[in-house]
Amino acid sequence: MKYYEYDTDDMIAALATPWGESALAVIRTSGDGCIEALSPCFRGKDNLSGSDGYSLHFGRIIDPGTGNTVDQVVAGVYRKPKSYTGQDMVEIFCHGSMPGITGILDALRNTGFRDAAPGEFTLRAFLNGKMDLTGAEAVNEIIRAKSPQAMGLALERLSGSVFNSINSIKALVSGILAEIELQLDYAEDEADPEAVLSTGKIETAISGLKELASTYRIGKVIQEGVRAVLTGRTNAGKSSLFNLLNRAERAIVSEYHGTTRDYIESLLVISGIPVKLYDTAGIRVSDHPVEAEGIKKSGEIIEASDIIIYLVDGCDGLTAEDRKRIDLFDRKKLIKVWNKSDISTKEIPEDYIAVSSLTGSGLDDLEKEIVSRAGAENIMLDDRAVIDSQRQKTLIDSALLSLENSLSAIRGSMPLDVVAVDIKEALDSLGEITGEITTADILDLMFSRFCVGK
Amino acid sequence: MDFDAIVIGGGHAGIEAGLALARLSYRTLFITQNVDTIGKLSCNPAVGGLSKGNIVREVDALGGEMANLIDSTMIQFRMLNKSRGPAVQAPRAQADKFAYNQLAKWTLERQDNLQLFQDTVTDFILNSRGNKIEGVITERGRRFTANAVVLTTGTFLEGMIFIGDYTSVSGRIGEPAALGLGVNLRKMGFSVGRLKTGTPARVRKGSLDFSKMERQDGDGEIIPFSFSRDNVERPQLPCHITYTNEKTHQVIRDNIGRSPLFGGKISGKGPRYCPSIEDKVVRFPDKLRHQVFVEPEGLESEEMYLNGISSSLPEDVQEAFLKTLPGLEKVEVIRPGYAVEYDFIDPRQLKPYLMTKKIEGLFVAGQTNGTSGYEEAACQGLMAGINASLYLAGRGPFVLGRTEAYTGVLIDDLVTLGTEEPYRMFTSRAEHRLSLRHDTADRRLMPKSKEIGLLRNEAWEKFQEKLSRTDEVRELLRQRRVTESEIKTVDGALYTVLKKHIGKTYEQTIKDPDVTIETFRDFDDVIDRTSKEWLSLVELDIKYEGYIDRQERQVKRFEKMEKMKIPENFNYDTVDGISTESRQKFKAVMPATIGQATRISGVRNSDIAVLMIYLGRKK
Repeated sequence: MKYYEYDTDDMIAALATPWGESALAVIRTSGDGCIEALSPCFRGKDNLSGSDGYSLHFGRIIDPGTGNTVDQVVAGVYRKPKSYTGQDMVEIFCHGSMPGITGILDALRNTGFRDAAPGEFTLRAFLNGKMDLTGAEAVNEIIRAKSPQAMGLALERLSGSVFNSINSIKALVSGILAEIELQLDYAEDEADPEAVLSTGKIETAISGLKELASTYRIGKVIQEGVRAVLTGRTNAGKSSLFNLLNRAERAIVSEYHGTTRDYIESLLVISGIPVKLYDTAGIRVSDHPVEAEGIKKSGEIIEASDIIIYLVDGCDGLTAEDRKRIDLFDRKKLIKVWNKSDISTKEIPEDYIAVSSLTGSGLDDLEKEIVSRAGAENIMLDDRAVIDSQRQKTLIDSALLSLENSLSAIRGSMPLDVVAVDIKEALDSLGEITGEITTADILDLMFSRFCVGK
Repeated sequence: MDFDAIVIGGGHAGIEAGLALARLSYRTLFITQNVDTIGKLSCNPAVGGLSKGNIVREVDALGGEMANLIDSTMIQFRMLNKSRGPAVQAPRAQADKFAYNQLAKWTLERQDNLQLFQDTVTDFILNSRGNKIEGVITERGRRFTANAVVLTTGTFLEGMIFIGDYTSVSGRIGEPAALGLGVNLRKMGFSVGRLKTGTPARVRKGSLDFSKMERQDGDGEIIPFSFSRDNVERPQLPCHITYTNEKTHQVIRDNIGRSPLFGGKISGKGPRYCPSIEDKVVRFPDKLRHQVFVEPEGLESEEMYLNGISSSLPEDVQEAFLKTLPGLEKVEVIRPGYAVEYDFIDPRQLKPYLMTKKIEGLFVAGQTNGTSGYEEAACQGLMAGINASLYLAGRGPFVLGRTEAYTGVLIDDLVTLGTEEPYRMFTSRAEHRLSLRHDTADRRLMPKSKEIGLLRNEAWEKFQEKLSRTDEVRELLRQRRVTESEIKTVDGALYTVLKKHIGKTYEQTIKDPDVTIETFRDFDDVIDRTSKEWLSLVELDIKYEGYIDRQERQVKRFEKMEKMKIPENFNYDTVDGISTESRQKFKAVMPATIGQATRISGVRNSDIAVLMIYLGRKK
């Protein structure tokens, strides 16, 4: 059991508004010294650390690691006991953009805040007598957040295979720790000579975790967005659809490179998911060197995309060339769109989404399909799911960091007992995802795998 | 009352409990079955070892006796695990077990306020309501009254020894068990279980051929266990190492059916970390050999201890497999190995200060609580003695935290988790072992012992001197910088290393793994006048500062949970929303703090949260 889950006055932070694109978002922080801790990340006319309770300050959030500005914000300062939780608090009102929110949360983590567990602000409010709820209600909330059922829900969100691979990495790391502990708990002449720490095992665990982190769809989608490309024959209506999507959604950035002979990209947010949308040159055999270069470039973009939206000109119907192209694409990535559906006289095949970039009909269906292909459909179902998933991603990342630290400690000839600190930390992080490994478990491993003792 | 306190049992727990009580000026009766076996090293003739060595130094820092006993009687000293990091280094010494036992007895005999008495306690005297101790009744019918009783009966409580088919009601071979007390404890409603442990054969030195074995000498340099000593001048004897082989294993496999362990005669659970040789052979069939250490038992004794090969196989089988070992071909066995099964009290029936929850004034310590090892017993005995004295004085209990001492980890584990096998300390049981180095035990614990009044003045003065000197050295290392001129005289390789650090402070330079603090002896007089041990303390503090800081931060968080007290007779039935399973566990352990509650095995996080909310609301 991890005692700090119940630490009731360390610094915590969490997004208080739903994960998703919106005009404004609020990030809430609470805990002893949080105003002072936040102060170095905040650049504005006022210094946060000296400010009164119930005061608002305009400024910028700076990532303490990089020194870069993350977002322009308004910070609301609360001094204990006059705050929601009864502790010092800062509420950060920022833009509701996913990269901005993620950036601020990262900056907070770098400053010593930890991610709040669900219900934790309320728990503190309750413990500090700020909440006039009936006991049962508060209790209920905490139970819901921390019970095995909630845990189960969180676990279900990890696919079976991801769960299994975390568990197998955890088993590997437990084994490494058992080997180290054995060396630490038995004298040189007493330990089983077969229990020798190999950095190879740590490296295996690291690469396993890296792989896991990279396949972690939701985290990746939120942090980096998905790449979607519009393609099809020339004049299929790609540019019109591109413009329509940009109009319908608020494009965060629009960079236009030359003409459509090259490609155009824009970053937009569909249902909270950042999507980098590319409009590519139409595909055809061309002798024109500039256009040929553009077509080659399109090929590269398509190759690197997560989603390929292939447009068929509804007036022409499915041509032989279309069929040939479609066959070349990865089916899992492919969304087939029947454009110009308003004027198309042909029968629309079942697996196509009918869209009219002129009237805008079918746009909703297309957007839903994009979100679903982004693998983040469930983000919309329950806003907590993302926080849980973020947490899991963060935990995997911190396990990775600990393991990498352990490797550099070994390489720097640090003694085993400090290496053990890093390995234990890695195991604790993984344990938070799938259940804790206790000292007793490690001792069991030691005694079952190695022959020890005088 | 005849006495203030009574200590039952003359083992390592009893010695510390008795001395602590008497030194704190309580008139104490010390009852043991045989005063000649006080402080006997029943199993291996050694004290200390990984994490155990730390405990011995903790006992010393708290005003206990064990460190002095081993310092005075050691016949080999080794600092273990030097290569594996500062937190897990620990001293171990082979003891002259006869001298150890003799000195222990003599120390008790000379102690004021302590009366030694040979008899066997068979029952307790309780108050009329049956919830408070008032004294003891002995086998010979003597009745002694006292307000506090410390029970430290070790393996003697309903002890039974096994060698093949042979069984005997004994606590050690040749010494009768303490009967009746176990039955009476059960009658009083204590939950009592069975554990098992074992010991190897003792053999005659003259029958061994050491030329066929590896010789293992002690360290040239001896670091005393006791912080009050500057050095130890003792004769040093070597140990020897030999190995079992396929023939040995064959003899054991052929006779495994005659083992009381595998034949099902022994029901008590034995220690997994210290398996008998038959256990090793059965459980690890792929291992072609097992190490055996041949250790001297004393300066004036021919008996040798065969460490690593404990057994309860029949004597003819023991002799047969011993003869297959190189150097033991002509072995003469003086005493056979045996297994011993004994009663232990489920330690979850104790409060964190080792008083039973059921009977006020009754304290239990040592192997009776399910532990194994002299050191584990000693630290409990000391804590029980101290707490019995505080109880008599009407003062609040003395409990060490998990972040303060291995002693704290041990007792917290026992009273919170209980144990299913003889509990031995491991460094990995401590979450914060970097903070529990053996060389910091004085820093961690002496101020506490001073406050209790148990620490001798000389020890305190020496500690003050150490503190001021090590602070001075530390400050000096922060101020002084490496200069070209002072490293000129240094030889080749080290010169190259130091050259990189010119202009940096000594302190920064010491963080380089290739630099030791000893390097600076030649550069400064104060450093040069400081003992190697004290310098090494400063060095470790510097080298591992980053890691120690990281753990300290964890320690702080940890301590917050420890500070959240749960009222002593808290009624868990009044709290809604706790799962039935956790409720039962809370009721069984009755944790003293939220921190302790979180460590009960199988308690749900959500139930802890509910408990916190409930307690939080009440204030």
